[in-house]
Amino acid sequence: MSTDASSTSVRTEVDTPVFSVAGLWKVFGPKAERVPADPELAALSAAELRERTGCTAAIRDVGFDVRKGEVFVIMGLSGSGKSTLVRCLTRLIEPTAGTLAIDGEDVRAMDKARLRELRRHRAAMVFQHFGLLPHRTVLDNVAYGLEIQGVGRAERRERAAAFVAKVGLEGMEQRRPAQLSGGQRQRVGLARALAVDPEVLLFDEPFSALDPLIRRDMQEEVVRLHREEGRTMVFVTHDLSEALKLGDRIALMRDGRLVQLGTPEEIVGSPADDYVRAFVRDVPREQVVTVRTAMRAASAEETADGPALPPDATVAEAIEAVARTGSPARVMDEGRCLGVVDHDRLLRVVAGTEQGPGRRAPEAGQRPERHDKAA
Amino acid sequence: MAALTTTTTASRAAVLPGVLRNRSAGKLLLLAVAAAILVPLLNARWGSGSWPHALTVDLSAPLARTSDWIIDNRDSHPLFLYFFGHLSNAVVLSVRAVYLVLLAAGWAGVTVAAGLLAWRTAGMRLALATTAAFLACGLLGMWVPTMQTLALMVVAVLASVALGAVLGLAAGLSDRTYRALRPVLDTMQVFPAFAYLLPVVLVFGIGVPAAVFATVVYAAPPMARLTALGLRDADKEVLEAVESLGTTARQRLLTARLPLARRELLLGLNQTIMMALSMAVIASVIGGGGLGDRVYQALASVDVGAALAAGIPIVLLAVVLDRVTGAAGERPGPGGRAGWAYAAGVTVAVALAVRLLGRPDWPASWTVPIAAPVNRAVDWMTAHLYTGVPYVGGTADWAARFTTWVLDPVRAGLQWLPWWSVLLVVAALAWLIGTWRTALTAVLAMAATGVLGVWKPSLDTLSQVLAAVAVTLVLGLATGIAAARSDRLERLLRPVLDVFQTLPQFVYLIPVVALFGVGRAPAVAAAIVYAFPAVVRITAQGLRQVDPAALESARSLGATSGQQLRQVQLPLARPALLLAVNQGVVLVLAVVIIGGLVGGGALGYDVVFGLAQGDLATGLVAGAAIVCLGLMLDRVTQPTGHHPKKGA
Repeated sequence: MSTDASSTSVRTEVDTPVFSVAGLWKVFGPKAERVPADPELAALSAAELRERTGCTAAIRDVGFDVRKGEVFVIMGLSGSGKSTLVRCLTRLIEPTAGTLAIDGEDVRAMDKARLRELRRHRAAMVFQHFGLLPHRTVLDNVAYGLEIQGVGRAERRERAAAFVAKVGLEGMEQRRPAQLSGGQRQRVGLARALAVDPEVLLFDEPFSALDPLIRRDMQEEVVRLHREEGRTMVFVTHDLSEALKLGDRIALMRDGRLVQLGTPEEIVGSPADDYVRAFVRDVPREQVVTVRTAMRAASAEETADGPALPPDATVAEAIEAVARTGSPARVMDEGRCLGVVDHDRLLRVVAGTEQGPGRRAPEAGQRPERHDKAA
Repeated sequence: MAALTTTTTASRAAVLPGVLRNRSAGKLLLLAVAAAILVPLLNARWGSGSWPHALTVDLSAPLARTSDWIIDNRDSHPLFLYFFGHLSNAVVLSVRAVYLVLLAAGWAGVTVAAGLLAWRTAGMRLALATTAAFLACGLLGMWVPTMQTLALMVVAVLASVALGAVLGLAAGLSDRTYRALRPVLDTMQVFPAFAYLLPVVLVFGIGVPAAVFATVVYAAPPMARLTALGLRDADKEVLEAVESLGTTARQRLLTARLPLARRELLLGLNQTIMMALSMAVIASVIGGGGLGDRVYQALASVDVGAALAAGIPIVLLAVVLDRVTGAAGERPGPGGRAGWAYAAGVTVAVALAVRLLGRPDWPASWTVPIAAPVNRAVDWMTAHLYTGVPYVGGTADWAARFTTWVLDPVRAGLQWLPWWSVLLVVAALAWLIGTWRTALTAVLAMAATGVLGVWKPSLDTLSQVLAAVAVTLVLGLATGIAAARSDRLERLLRPVLDVFQTLPQFVYLIPVVALFGVGRAPAVAAAIVYAFPAVVRITAQGLRQVDPAALESARSLGATSGQQLRQVQLPLARPALLLAVNQGVVLVLAVVIIGGLVGGGALGYDVVFGLAQGDLATGLVAGAAIVCLGLMLDRVTQPTGHHPKKGA
């Protein structure tokens, strides 16, 4: 995703964020609203909080903006609050405290009708276990969102048929969900969400119930859809490689808190704390780190010659180019040479010894094992 | 929960000595201490024989006054004039209307309509079976009573389904209603059908309205329960997905929750129909008419042949209704409208054709009178099998011996026991299996029978129940274990059990009267036969559903099949076994009470007597005692407050 030129350009756009979240809390339990309000309670750990109040804080003081056109990944292990968080965005789960806006409009202040309007037209969701209606055909499932908006039968079927085709299920319109494989069912779920033409698509671990191969197909489907339509997406996953593959930016959650928010490269290149570091330790860095980070200043003769790469190319791509030509590769942005990457630079990235921008030097006792091995 | 239990046990173990390590022993000891203090007091105050007279409340006088008042004011008081009167008239009119429609359609029209209905909902095989069943009703000369029963059933089922669906919707959509309604519905399921008869007679008098209302009250709970269950058990993620698309609450109900609950709704319909049939037959005692009435009259004069001629249509109706509605639940959805229109068209055509031919009624010459040959066979049996068969003895001998050696001693023993010790035993049993709440309910319910002044007849009924339950459990658990271990036996048993479980309680009385005559032993025998299938099925299912991994690990350690059964299957299937006991007890009680019709005596007889003599006070007191007994027996055997469907 990070190599995609179109996403780079929208990333730099300055615009009202699609979702703007600040200080968001979700606490389950008796008299939940007192927890965010009381700084002492808010500071307690999960176990202490349960002991003291009988409450569980699923989301604690989370804030972020989702920009127009980006794929925003919320990532964390099970119980980190990521699924709750994505449900709070359309108030499928009611947040306890904080502010939440879509296109600048306060979501928490919406009345029922306005909220329905939001769910019908502005945000559609794809679910982990698909959430299809078993008594309806594929076509009628896809048309369901239009049906509840009051779209006439002929029109909604026609529109739904187009989306069934778009997700590659032509010829299966009259089947029922039980007659489909898991991957096909999720395609139906995707088509149902797309059919209402929402401003933003929300995904709640949509592919974790699928086989690895099917999962990869579906991930590519999402990448393709995003490239074609440029629709804003919020994508929840517990799978780091999925997050890195799809996300323009990743919000890493732990125990209800937002631990780090950044591009895949920032997350892998400069983990905010030991938790994130442990998390990304096994990530193949060359797949994530870009040549913009890895390059060094070019000498005069180097700017003239050698394979050219865009600044967002990954180190893995640079390695291929360098290995093919045997000479350092130039990092070119709109005809200007920003720098070069050579064998030495690329190997450092693979070995994990490069000092990227903002990357803190690992402290003596906490060096990642990889580092030791490489040295 | 398990961790909690362990910690409490552990902390207690630290404080208390050896015996009390065990929770059960602890409960018993506590109970023993309470008894040691209370019993001398109670003894000194009221003595230790049967239930003390000082503790009874004579309800018969006020009840008789109430009953007299209702009879006097039935035609004048506004409550009856403007409420019950209208209800009753509406029921009479609807039953009458349905009956006239059935008659107007003629035998051919009804048979064809039933066949086509079965064909549309359940396929060809069941359509043929349905047609054959209706023709058999005609052949047995029971066409008119069958139509009477059917008319009553149609009205009662429609009302039950409407009532049940409304209650179920309310309970399915609102947590508060569900919490309020569930214990009521659960409890209603354990009451024997007989208990419902008297109150409706008190209000409506004997007749069709009373029969319909008793049927509705009896048959609506399963519909309500299953509707609520279906709405509540809907796939949470589907509902969330539907909500995420911006549905209104109404759209969610109509497009998602109700369609998702289709299976449960149809299962509810199935159970409601089966229970309505069961009750419609029993309600002949209060003027329901139809097939049940024929059986009732025949049994009253021990005319087994006539009873059988009316009983067979009931059985056929039950099996056909069960299979057709059951199959409707299995199939994905009803077919197109064209098929239904076609079916309706054919029905009308056939009905008109037969009418034009001038033979709308079942032709008298086409009947096969089976009453006389059956009675001859019964007479032969009476002569040859009743008594004095070499070595094995006769059926009457068995019945007599069962009465003398089992029923009499148990009854004498129970009635000899001091009243407080009965309560103590009830408390101990209920507490050991359940919680202190169930124990308290059980003790209060048992005490209530004493307070009502029917301590002795209650114990008489209880003795029959205990004897029947003991036999049922021995036979049922053994058969269930065997069926769980042998696929072949299970395949053999399954269709038989299926049929037996669908039959109305009433028809079980016919064969036992043929075999054993009248008395307490036949009532017990009918109860055993009625409860046996449920016990077998629950036991076999429970054993088969034991975690295969646990069984496999036992096998891998080299356990013999006996060891597997004793050490793995039976302990792990404990909840199912307790459920089997609970169901066995509830079902046995229902039939033991009905046994009052064939000389079972005790509470059931009081109800019948009250109805026959117009002495509603006696009947009502007996009915209340039956309810208490049912409550007590259910709570004593209730493991976790979990309640199954009746006859499931």
